Amino acid sequence: MRDAFRPLMIPILLFLLSLYLFAKTPDGCITCHRNTTPIDAYHPYKEFGCASCHGGDKNTRSKELAHRGIVLHPAHIQHAKIFCAKCHKSIIDRIQHSIMYDMHGVYDVLRYQFKETSTIRPSHGVYAKMDESNLTLAQSHFRKMCAACHIDQNESIFPKGYAPRGGGCVDCHRISQAKWQGSKLLHPRLSTRIPSSNCLKCHNRSDRIGLAYFGKFESEGYGTPYHHGQLSHKIEKNRYYYPLPADIHHTKAKLDCIDCHTERGVMGDGKYHEHMEGAEDISCIDCHAPRLHDAMHYPLAAKLAAINAKIPLPTGKIAITHKKGTPLYNVQLRSGKVTLFRKRDGKAFFITPSSRRPYHTLAIHKRLACTACHSSWTPSCYGCHEVYLDSGRQLDWISKKRTPGQWQELRSFLRWEHPTLGIGYNKKIMPFAPGCQVIATIFHGRKVQKRFVSMAMAGWDPHTTQKKARSCQDCHFDPASLGLGRGILHIEKGRIAFAPFYDSRASGMPFSYPIDAFETPEGHQLQSTSRTYARSFNAKELTKILQAYTCILCHTGYNDPIYRDFTRSKKLFLRGMTPCLKK
Amino acid sequence: MFEKVAPFLLVLSALQAGTCITCHPKEARDVRHSLHFTLQKALTITHHAWSIEGNVTLQTLPHPPKTIKKVTDLVDDFLRRKCLRCHLPPQDENSCLACHHPHPPKVHFARAKATMDKCLACHNKEYIGTDFLGWFPKDYDRSYRAPLSPQGTYPPVKYGIDYHHLAPDVHYEAGLTCTDCHTRLHPKAKTLSCKACHPHPSSSNHPAYHKRIACIACHASWQINSYELSLFRDDTAHYKQWRRLTLQEDPWLRTFLQKALHSPTPPPPRMPDFIDGTLHKGIWYSGYRFRRWEDFYLAVDRRDGKIKLYRPLYQYRISYRDANGSVVFDDVHTLAGRPIAVWLPYAPHTIGKQAKSCEMCHDNPLLLPAKSTGTVLDLKHPARSDLLWQARMLDAKERAKLHSQRYRKIRAKMLIRRLQMVPSPQGR
Repeated sequence: MRDAFRPLMIPILLFLLSLYLFAKTPDGCITCHRNTTPIDAYHPYKEFGCASCHGGDKNTRSKELAHRGIVLHPAHIQHAKIFCAKCHKSIIDRIQHSIMYDMHGVYDVLRYQFKETSTIRPSHGVYAKMDESNLTLAQSHFRKMCAACHIDQNESIFPKGYAPRGGGCVDCHRISQAKWQGSKLLHPRLSTRIPSSNCLKCHNRSDRIGLAYFGKFESEGYGTPYHHGQLSHKIEKNRYYYPLPADIHHTKAKLDCIDCHTERGVMGDGKYHEHMEGAEDISCIDCHAPRLHDAMHYPLAAKLAAINAKIPLPTGKIAITHKKGTPLYNVQLRSGKVTLFRKRDGKAFFITPSSRRPYHTLAIHKRLACTACHSSWTPSCYGCHEVYLDSGRQLDWISKKRTPGQWQELRSFLRWEHPTLGIGYNKKIMPFAPGCQVIATIFHGRKVQKRFVSMAMAGWDPHTTQKKARSCQDCHFDPASLGLGRGILHIEKGRIAFAPFYDSRASGMPFSYPIDAFETPEGHQLQSTSRTYARSFNAKELTKILQAYTCILCHTGYNDPIYRDFTRSKKLFLRGMTPCLKK
Repeated sequence: MFEKVAPFLLVLSALQAGTCITCHPKEARDVRHSLHFTLQKALTITHHAWSIEGNVTLQTLPHPPKTIKKVTDLVDDFLRRKCLRCHLPPQDENSCLACHHPHPPKVHFARAKATMDKCLACHNKEYIGTDFLGWFPKDYDRSYRAPLSPQGTYPPVKYGIDYHHLAPDVHYEAGLTCTDCHTRLHPKAKTLSCKACHPHPSSSNHPAYHKRIACIACHASWQINSYELSLFRDDTAHYKQWRRLTLQEDPWLRTFLQKALHSPTPPPPRMPDFIDGTLHKGIWYSGYRFRRWEDFYLAVDRRDGKIKLYRPLYQYRISYRDANGSVVFDDVHTLAGRPIAVWLPYAPHTIGKQAKSCEMCHDNPLLLPAKSTGTVLDLKHPARSDLLWQARMLDAKERAKLHSQRYRKIRAKMLIRRLQMVPSPQGR
């Protein structure tokens, strides 16, 4: 049997060799397009040719034939599946499961908030099958207000005044735009050293992380102060900011988004995740209390460092994320010190390890997320007054057409101070902010057809980290932090009482509790959340927090021995066995 | 029927009878010495903020020079054409009717009494007046015109302003009106103090260590703090950038902008001098950085040594563009290194049933010495003591007292008692 193939061996080998040689030769496109700038070090078109990415017929000298079937933007996912996937198949597969690909996280929460579903179920791919002639309100809202931002968006549909988003892989990886210089084509440059400005194209609304990290707070819209006779501090059309303290990672080291966020966290791990926090890979402790492993076990780390080309190749130990075990190739142990190399330029920063002082080690605060204390402010937009006009027309970001129906968003007021705390999606105490407080008015013609209210709070890392934590009192007695709202907190006859400032009913809202209240003083939750475990403080927790405050007043430092075993200290106090009230 | 036509009859009869002055010559003379007539305090303090010292009244307020050369040349123009919408008409002999209602000669005197709507016509916005009803002015951008009513209409605009509704003053809820406490305004203003009605506050809640604190500091529940007022006099017809900001708490400007933005032939940029009614070139626009109702700042009034509430009124930033389109002053906020700002004592009319908690003052971060951060956080404290009007910041000793052992002990005991976690041998 084997002998039967022997005479064929030489022709087969010759054929394979010719294929290899042919593939190595630049294709015919280069004959005309030789005046093109390079893409990056890893996609040398003089080696790969143009057709391997753009398609077309590379074996002809006729322009018409050569251009038949070429793709101008091969990075769009439907093309990337064919072209980019030749080399990056696993990534193209993974990205199609990610939230940034289809925004299914946003869509699911939106349907839940608009009360079109009773639970949040992942609906990946479902919105593509929406019945365009009969859209529900949530679907219409999603298509007209949210769907502008996803990596596969068509960049050319963005009107003037808005940063174009989308384009597939290049949405993130492109660091310069295509441009003709006479007959010379400046090809878009690609990189894994993704500048934060690429992330900010999208991540500047909703929870406004991309603004907050850089010390910008989307303002009340005054556009003040006036500079050169114009409104100033503009973000984009009709949106303005003012400065607040930026995240310490920005002020101290000018870190970019990608210095913390891994490719696995951003492009996905290949699984469907309902929400961002499922897809997310990193946490504060990955750097500040790192798990260090031998780099040699992680060839991916070496590969990514090589592609980055600024970061020294990991040789000793590198950090591994606690959540998914992803290697952080830019966090390396160097001469005994955990060092972060900035991906943009390879600049080294020694990481301050999380202190082992009592405030971090004591059991009393083991339920706190780092952000509960270290986030200094949170953008909080109270009241999301949605107005739907069926007589209007607005761009549908999925069909890319102006279709009937128009949404407008109005709001009540903004705050950043004293971030509200609650139990987060991971059962840890973290900052919350309105997300979203839907007060909707649906018009049919000029008449109100329907009104509905769906108030929710959401917890996230606001990206406003400071070294200095919030004060004890700020969390243990401030009513806004506790989730009661802005007003006067007082205690009477064993009862927590609260006199709120905001009068929702008198302000025209169809509900009576203060709009900034997450729960009542009795611990009854007033606003929903979109996460299974997320909730406000309950009565027991509120009492505990306030009881602890009575101790904090005199026992001011974490070093105070009463905190070593606080449960026991409290018990001793209640039995009258402590000297607390003696004098 | 009579009820409906009565007001018209009253006006008619008043007009027929001639002017108020015919019967009330003394009052008409007296009123000329009242602050309502001279506005001396407001004008002098504003001049002071702009580093111009000396008393000034509505009657002595200079006209701005024809060509603006210095920043301070703008202040009188700003006052005349932006602030002084509210003043008593000096020539009009019926100016009494700004506050009083007309009545037929020799009868129905009681009808003449100033009612709250008369007061609120001027005492609105962030000034004391509408706060008594619980009203807090909304931000200017049109996205704050919410929530829509069940009929789908925008919220009402009162005195050119759309308001949030916060907790009203307890005295308002009890049915009191302005004149119940502000019993007389001319010849000399007379206001009942808190003590006049509440002579014996309980000693347990009003311990001796708080004797230096003004009642209002604890009992006012919220207040209106507007941080940084940017002003822009524009002599050019650039109206478009204001299309979302037509509701600038200035009814005249709102009407003007609605015309300017929607008419095919926009009017030229001219705004009246509200004192003499003449039109002059240039429109005054304004905007804040942000506003808060939960912030407050305490300082010591040098005149009586009491600790009172203070707020910025205002922290100014000024721009001016002349008719040729050149920006003469671009966002000026200091004069000879001194911020153009003044912090004034404040008595918010927002008394609640519940006084402030101890923590709201004792742990108020705004009372700590401010370090410049280069962010808007800096606006929440007076940058320097001399920005406080006849007052000083709390000194180091007073600040230390906020966190003294004594305070901590007293507060802890109080809370332990109120939380009913007093120790007992059985424990819990």
